[in-house]
Amino acid sequence: MDVDLRPVKKLRESAAARSALGPIIEAVCASPADLARLRVVCDWIQYKQNFREPVVARPIGTTDTEIAFDLRRCADIDVEASVKRALEDPGGVALEPWVPGRDSCIWRFNALYWQALSEWEQATGRQYEQSLPGGESDARNTEAAQELILELFRIWDELDARRALPDELYILELGVGNGNQARTWLDEFVQLDRRHGRDYYRRLRYLMGDYSPHVLERARQAVAHHAERISALVVDATRPSITLGFLAGKAFLVYISNVYDNLPTDELACIHGRTYQVQTQAFLTDDDADLIAGQFGLDRPAVPKLIDRLLRIGPGLLSESAPSQFPDPGQAVGFWRAVWDALRLRERYVPLEGLDSYQLTPDLTGEILHSLIEADGDVRMHVSNGALSSLTGTLPLLHPFGRVQCHDLFLTGSQQYRTGFYGPGKYDGSVVNWVNGPLLQLVASRRGFGVQFAPFRQRPGSNITTLTAQARD
Amino acid sequence: MEPLLPTTVVGSYSVPEWLERLKTEYYQRRISAQHLADIHEVAIKAAVKDQELAGIDIVSDGELRRDNDVDYFLARIPGVHIPQRAKTDYFDYYDAEVTRPLPDSPDTTLELANDFKFTRQLTQRPVKFSFTGPFSLSRRVRDGAYERPGDLVRALARRLNAEARALAAAGADFLQIDEPFLAGYPEHVELAVEAVNIVTENIDATWALHVCYGNRYARPSWEGHYDFLFPAVKAARVDQVVLEFARKGLDDLRLIRQHGWDKWLGFGVIDVKTTQVETPELVAERIRRALEYLPADRLMINPDCGLRHLPPEVARRKLRAMVAGVAAVRAELTGGDKP
Repeated sequence: MDVDLRPVKKLRESAAARSALGPIIEAVCASPADLARLRVVCDWIQYKQNFREPVVARPIGTTDTEIAFDLRRCADIDVEASVKRALEDPGGVALEPWVPGRDSCIWRFNALYWQALSEWEQATGRQYEQSLPGGESDARNTEAAQELILELFRIWDELDARRALPDELYILELGVGNGNQARTWLDEFVQLDRRHGRDYYRRLRYLMGDYSPHVLERARQAVAHHAERISALVVDATRPSITLGFLAGKAFLVYISNVYDNLPTDELACIHGRTYQVQTQAFLTDDDADLIAGQFGLDRPAVPKLIDRLLRIGPGLLSESAPSQFPDPGQAVGFWRAVWDALRLRERYVPLEGLDSYQLTPDLTGEILHSLIEADGDVRMHVSNGALSSLTGTLPLLHPFGRVQCHDLFLTGSQQYRTGFYGPGKYDGSVVNWVNGPLLQLVASRRGFGVQFAPFRQRPGSNITTLTAQARD
Repeated sequence: MEPLLPTTVVGSYSVPEWLERLKTEYYQRRISAQHLADIHEVAIKAAVKDQELAGIDIVSDGELRRDNDVDYFLARIPGVHIPQRAKTDYFDYYDAEVTRPLPDSPDTTLELANDFKFTRQLTQRPVKFSFTGPFSLSRRVRDGAYERPGDLVRALARRLNAEARALAAAGADFLQIDEPFLAGYPEHVELAVEAVNIVTENIDATWALHVCYGNRYARPSWEGHYDFLFPAVKAARVDQVVLEFARKGLDDLRLIRQHGWDKWLGFGVIDVKTTQVETPELVAERIRRALEYLPADRLMINPDCGLRHLPPEVARRKLRAMVAGVAAVRAELTGGDKP
């Protein structure tokens, strides 16, 4: 039996975490599981809203089992009973078949959150930025914006001196949120440009890209006073070149804040030298399904059907199509929130027949993962498919002197996967996963870009890391 | 005798993903140098055959032995010190330095003549042999040896001149100097031309000089126009300049007329930075535009740059499109049958 204790820092800091270990081992040994074919994994799940019960069992292939514990919650539960329950038939109401993580319906919930953000915010009574650490997006930090703009001025001055400065100076923001980042950035740009005296503002083309027309419209209003410099485009952040092909080689800055952690991802694992894909299945526990059915006057079998309909048409149309259950859109949002709160994921490890056969993105096989996954013992990691696809689609848009700057939750070393939990968690109505920084670094490197990580200097203590990608050589 | 509007390649040919992996395996010490050399020979044979089948008039070895445009040469030049020869990826650049002046009369060669001889015996067609020029090589070397700026460039040029002499002795009669870094340092164009003239000095061959905006990872390393190249390049002892036009557009053709360039132009009609395959009609249209600026008997047709980053099938299709486009224009010029 392997015992994998990941949250090593918490083990030192938390007496509760340490005291949970004894009962965990007792409970596992008291269980009917074949201990020779058992792995025990302990995490510390920092997200109060997440997709896991405190104790879960995961099949590994067809013969072995992993029992995973959330040490943060184990002190408050009957561990032995929880282990027994986890090893039994899980029951519950499945919302989908077993799928790779990136194909789970949690991403449909995530997409719905951004598409119907105003309804969600209306129901919760707070703006989404308030759910972010610090209460606002780091993108609004004026000091960070000034630093970037002045660096751009330096590059543009140099190119201008060599008569190599294009007439139009493109800046792209992917994932525009409520437009506050764009407003902060452009307002600062105007001020600094005035002082700089080169009239770059006149040549500036600020492109706002988001996959939600609703979000784009709201952002556009926030920067209405820069209307002549702005274009708003519906862009799938994971496939930017489809919309932005015209921008190839032209963007001096691609700015992305808190997008990558919100894009679909798979997880892969290496266990005893064999590589597995983590498959997931979203479900509601029987108790939660009954509770939600009762709350909204539904039969239990109707619950998954209504969830599917909600995800297809959104809360507004759901209310129109089922007025008896949801007399107004607010009721439909209430249903949505109740389901989201109760939503759980179960997991299993399915063997991969070689990394080459695994498609990381449409253009990239898993072959590149060898050095990260199979080099150094057991590990489980996100492979950040959405973020990878976005970054690799974005890099070709850069001018030779351009850069991608991205503020997000990045791991900066693969070894971190052995000592922490990095998602998925729930941020308000959205999904969050930390992004596999070393993988992005490796893939960008194979495309001729250097990727650097640095702590977000403007807010010390923040988990946010700044990724900068620029052409090297 | 070469036909009107002869077709050729700039140098590198498509490097298949499997070959990239094997090259990296070598740098990580998983396969031997001899095995890699054998693999390279097989790949070169295939590359030459591909070019022949596409109808290219003047072929190359595809530069398939080279890991990138610099290291193959620097690693063989006596006096260039490379502390770490293992690489994470074969395409990465070495960290190279010179700590004392390069020996003027080294007793070893870069063995380029052997590379040429191998290709020569594979085909009946004329062969173009290219190598990276002294200016670009110097940009990847930390210079701790020379006090005067430019002396390292000149020393590298003298080394390449010796190599060119060996190439010519082996029968190479069409040589090309590639300067992929020059566009990033336009203020050094006179130095680069001076070094080119050192390389070509007293070598009886047709010389081409290729200047592009970079093609590393299929991206331009710089942007701008070829204005910087003129009139300085007119002093270069070369027979043609090989320039990129397909990606950048044809505006810079004006420089040919404006500066009275009276030698050959290697005219880039294929964009090597996109997998979209040009139509023969587009190629023909580009050539017709070039003919407004210089006569057909001074025009050689080639892609913008090397094909190394294109998938093999795309490279083949692009070459076929280029040849078909040229055939259409030839027919117009000679009154022959259209293809």
